[in-house]
Amino acid sequence: MAFLARLGAPVRGFLAFLGDQAHLVLRTLRAGFALRLDQLAVVGGQTSLQTRFTGLDAWILVAGTALLLGAVTLIQAFSQLSGLGAENYIGTLMVLIILRELGPLLTAVLVIGRSSTAIAAELGAMQLNGEVDALAAHGVNPYQYLLLPRWLGVLVSVFALVVFFDAAALGGGFLVARLKYGITWGFFIASVRQALSNLDFAATLLKVFFFSGAITFHACHFGLRVQRSQTEIPQAVTKTVVSALVAVFALDGLIAALLYF
Amino acid sequence: MIQARGLACASPEGRPLLEGLDLTVRPGGNLLVTGSSGSGKSRLLRVLAGTERPRRGEVRIAGIGIWPGEGALSLVGRIRMGFAFASGGLLSNLSLEDNVALPLRFLGLPKSEVARRTAGALDRLGLASVARLRPHAVSGAARKHANLARVLALEPELILLDDPLEGLDTVDRAVALELIEGWVGDSRCTLVLASEEVQVLSELEVDRLQLAPAPTLMESP
Repeated sequence: MAFLARLGAPVRGFLAFLGDQAHLVLRTLRAGFALRLDQLAVVGGQTSLQTRFTGLDAWILVAGTALLLGAVTLIQAFSQLSGLGAENYIGTLMVLIILRELGPLLTAVLVIGRSSTAIAAELGAMQLNGEVDALAAHGVNPYQYLLLPRWLGVLVSVFALVVFFDAAALGGGFLVARLKYGITWGFFIASVRQALSNLDFAATLLKVFFFSGAITFHACHFGLRVQRSQTEIPQAVTKTVVSALVAVFALDGLIAALLYF
Repeated sequence: MIQARGLACASPEGRPLLEGLDLTVRPGGNLLVTGSSGSGKSRLLRVLAGTERPRRGEVRIAGIGIWPGEGALSLVGRIRMGFAFASGGLLSNLSLEDNVALPLRFLGLPKSEVARRTAGALDRLGLASVARLRPHAVSGAARKHANLARVLALEPELILLDDPLEGLDTVDRAVALELIEGWVGDSRCTLVLASEEVQVLSELEVDRLQLAPAPTLMESP
């Protein structure tokens, strides 16, 4: 019995967490549909701020990481597969490793590190300072003013950053392919195109949608649970990072299993 | 305007503050809640505003059930409420001006009307010169006044003021008091005011509710 009780508590906690996430998503969606035209300017302003912070301010980090990753992927592939006609598999390697898997996944990891931490800390501080209560008390729906813009901003940013990541990684891969085998841009892109399928685009879009939701709502959940003390804020940030990483990896596995298994 | 039945509240550490409180404030009525520090005045105001869930009991604002219910969210778009917090409550990433203007923008008022009401409220509270600064860059008294300016600009049907005079010097206090007297005399708005400063507010023609000191929580040996 004691073992079952020990097992039950975390299971119940996990189910409560899932329920809270679903509640946040549904309330935010409902708040989004209830937005009036005259409120769009305020919500749009907040969304553009979030997009600038999550997307625009992160492009150099994402581009640098992707460029190196694309180059390293092909360096390693060539070192292992030289003599086996590695140059013929460039497109397949780039699509399989970068575009299909690492592009969305690493972008999500970078956004978790930069933005979900910031969202959790900001909402935690707002909660402590009574700002969230003040919004609701003055007729400003916090789901419309705080959660919806963050979700939309992260969604737009993750989509843009994944496209950017993929493009930069292809650029890095092409540089290596060019220097090592003298491969032309036309051959490189044709090889990538040949390996790409519509399913890859669908998988990327699904990942962008679900990853951005997981990143935003995990941050909002832990940020808004801060109640009493400043010391809860770093705890909320840590929990956000761990929880969002687990969610993103689980979603990635689930989507891969559903679409490619 | 406000109907509360059987309200029970507790402090965060579980100390009972209110037990079985029944309260009715008619539309246009005014209520002054007094009591010693820690007696639950602020908590009562937050419960009435729908920002804090009571342990037990029901609260209805203008016939809309907020507890049990969704709290302040039930009132969004239905009742205009203004709440001047005892501390905090201003968005730290917005200037005082934007803090005052945000609820008006969300109401969907035209830009010119938002600008007029915001400037008017800030001017009335003597905040025009610091309107572009954020809350952390101004004095505690200015933050307190900015809370009042936000309420003033919103022209609410229900006003909740939590210790609006605390920590103000004579001049700032006179400005705030003049504003409160205006609200007390305005039959279009309902006012609930929590304060420890009974002497200063003794002239106000308001109903009074005295909260008993909360029992001390005894630690078990």
